[in-house]
Amino acid sequence: MALAIRVPLRLVVAGTISLSLTASRAELQAQGVPPTLQQERGDLTAWLAEAPLSPFAAVALHPIGPGLTIGVAPADIPLAEFGSGTVNEKNGLAILTVDGRHRSLPRGRPVAIGPYTLLTAGARGRATLAVFGAPREAKRPTYYPYRGDLVASAALEPPERAGPFVVLGLDGLDTQAVEAGFLRIAWENQEARLRVYRLGEADDDEAALFVFFQDPTNGKGSYPAGRFVELIPQGGGRYQLDLNRARNPFCAYSTVFPCPAPWPGNRLTVPVTAGERYIETPKAR
Amino acid sequence: MLSAILSLLMAAGSDSVSGPWRATLDLAGGELRFSLVIEAGSARLCNGPACEPFSGTRWQGDSLVLDLGDYAASISAAHHGDSLTGYYRNLGRRGPRTIPFRAARGTWRMRSQSPGMLGQWDAWFESEFSATPRVLEFRAGADGVEGAVIANSGDAGLFWGEAAGDSIVIAHFDGSFVYLLTGRLDGDTLRGEFHAGLRSRTPFVATRSSGKPHLTPPTAVTRADTTPFRFSFPDLEGRTISSTDERFRGKAVLIDIFGTWCPTCHDAAPTLVELYRDFRDRGLEIVGVAFEATGDTAHDAGLVRRYRQKHGIEFPLLLGGISEQEVVSAALPQLDGFTAFPTTIFVGRDGRVRRIHAGFYGPATGAQHTALVAEFRSAVESLLAESGPQAQ
Repeated sequence: MALAIRVPLRLVVAGTISLSLTASRAELQAQGVPPTLQQERGDLTAWLAEAPLSPFAAVALHPIGPGLTIGVAPADIPLAEFGSGTVNEKNGLAILTVDGRHRSLPRGRPVAIGPYTLLTAGARGRATLAVFGAPREAKRPTYYPYRGDLVASAALEPPERAGPFVVLGLDGLDTQAVEAGFLRIAWENQEARLRVYRLGEADDDEAALFVFFQDPTNGKGSYPAGRFVELIPQGGGRYQLDLNRARNPFCAYSTVFPCPAPWPGNRLTVPVTAGERYIETPKAR
Repeated sequence: MLSAILSLLMAAGSDSVSGPWRATLDLAGGELRFSLVIEAGSARLCNGPACEPFSGTRWQGDSLVLDLGDYAASISAAHHGDSLTGYYRNLGRRGPRTIPFRAARGTWRMRSQSPGMLGQWDAWFESEFSATPRVLEFRAGADGVEGAVIANSGDAGLFWGEAAGDSIVIAHFDGSFVYLLTGRLDGDTLRGEFHAGLRSRTPFVATRSSGKPHLTPPTAVTRADTTPFRFSFPDLEGRTISSTDERFRGKAVLIDIFGTWCPTCHDAAPTLVELYRDFRDRGLEIVGVAFEATGDTAHDAGLVRRYRQKHGIEFPLLLGGISEQEVVSAALPQLDGFTAFPTTIFVGRDGRVRRIHAGFYGPATGAQHTALVAEFRSAVESLLAESGPQAQ
């Protein structure tokens, strides 16, 4: 028995809120961001700047297909350090071969080779290889001011689709998805029924529920392709949707990654002036 | 040299941090309690009586950092008098995995005051609109309640906590797995939640085990074809050991697919050592095939040597490759449905597979462990009683 929830989402005329482009921690506090969300944002900022799998460290992403070459140009992935390497998928396992030596690249497990980290993802026979190098200059994520009115909780309504399928995740890589159900949110004169997927492999105890949504701020302050929000379980089958936790997909940070296609029906008609913003980097002259 | 410096640094601050600590991870849905024991230059992480050492301890500014190298994880905490406050962190693919951590001086006093709660429960874990089975095992330990959460693929190690009144709270934290189980008796039904990581929460409903099988039997998970079972892998000295070698001819053979990274495999090793000791003279051979984290032969061989020494293993241990389901399936193509580490393959004297046991019930599962060991012994006796290939 799912409950429709009431989100007192005020209709905001875009542009009436003044936004700081590079919110400092002090400014975040001033904007009333709860400490847990401040912590989460700080950790993400550090992770983007330092982690070996940060999207800012990505140098290449390529389907393995019938086999790809990695090494001296004109290889599919031109990284001279690999000489004349190849990557092939055999029996569902990707294998890197360099100078006659083989190295397995198990799906979902980062493998460090010299200055690079290799990660394969995707369904058997349709795997993709991502290559990460040293983290490059990481842009600090920026956020809209905190809006306490964009937090709601509800139980899920039953899913329409059964069984697992593959979608492009937040990290720009194929991942297994199961439709977990629908979250109905309603406000003043608007109502939306958001499609919720559980993203992660079947044996992942921590696979979380996500909503990928579009809204009228896309391309006008937020990322054009839309944003992800991870739902927070609250026990008893209820989930919290906090739109202040909306995050950009990795394609917002690096053009190495493809952008996920919109999830059917997840287009909000009210601007979500909350969560992560997107400031386009001026084109290099 | 570096370690000497680190020890000195550790000692410099250790007068104030040495001793036992009551540690807590603050999950979104509850407190996960474990114990820390800090001594000069080293520290241990304990779930009740089961302790594992941290791979390193150091000071960074005024923060104590406890490293869990195997999992690229660490706990870093600021020290103020009788408290430690900070975070447990490890690297994720989509962002950091961070959970608030705190500790106070002293030792947890866990209660085991609800005898009605103890025993075995058949549970259904409810994930939105579907459910998967688990068996919950609770028993009174020397200090609090010990237990296990058993899935089709085996158990995740020892859970530890307390039961009082109509409630039970038990947890397992090993640096990578972050599990907390909370339950409350509602008549004859136990209802609760299984928490994994910072936020994941799965409701469950359990009733007392009826004795009928609730999980998929471990012998019905993985199958093999009917031709003689073949394997060929290098041992730790680089020699190739194959199923066609003279030492296996006409023998009953157990093939143990394991990894040194897998706690359940460590739980299973003593049973195999005992079987080999007791039945070797009657015609039992055992081989362990390790699937390790790196696939780098020199590195993996070192880990497997340590495993061999730790458990006093006298049968051959071979290097199979990287610990990935698909690698195992490719390396042993006769297997169908390989899912669990360890998996034990029972081969008759004619070289054909008689039985495949997926997973292993470790000592944390109590009576199930005892029953499984007896089952393994009886299965080996049956294999040894068969006639050899000449009878075909």
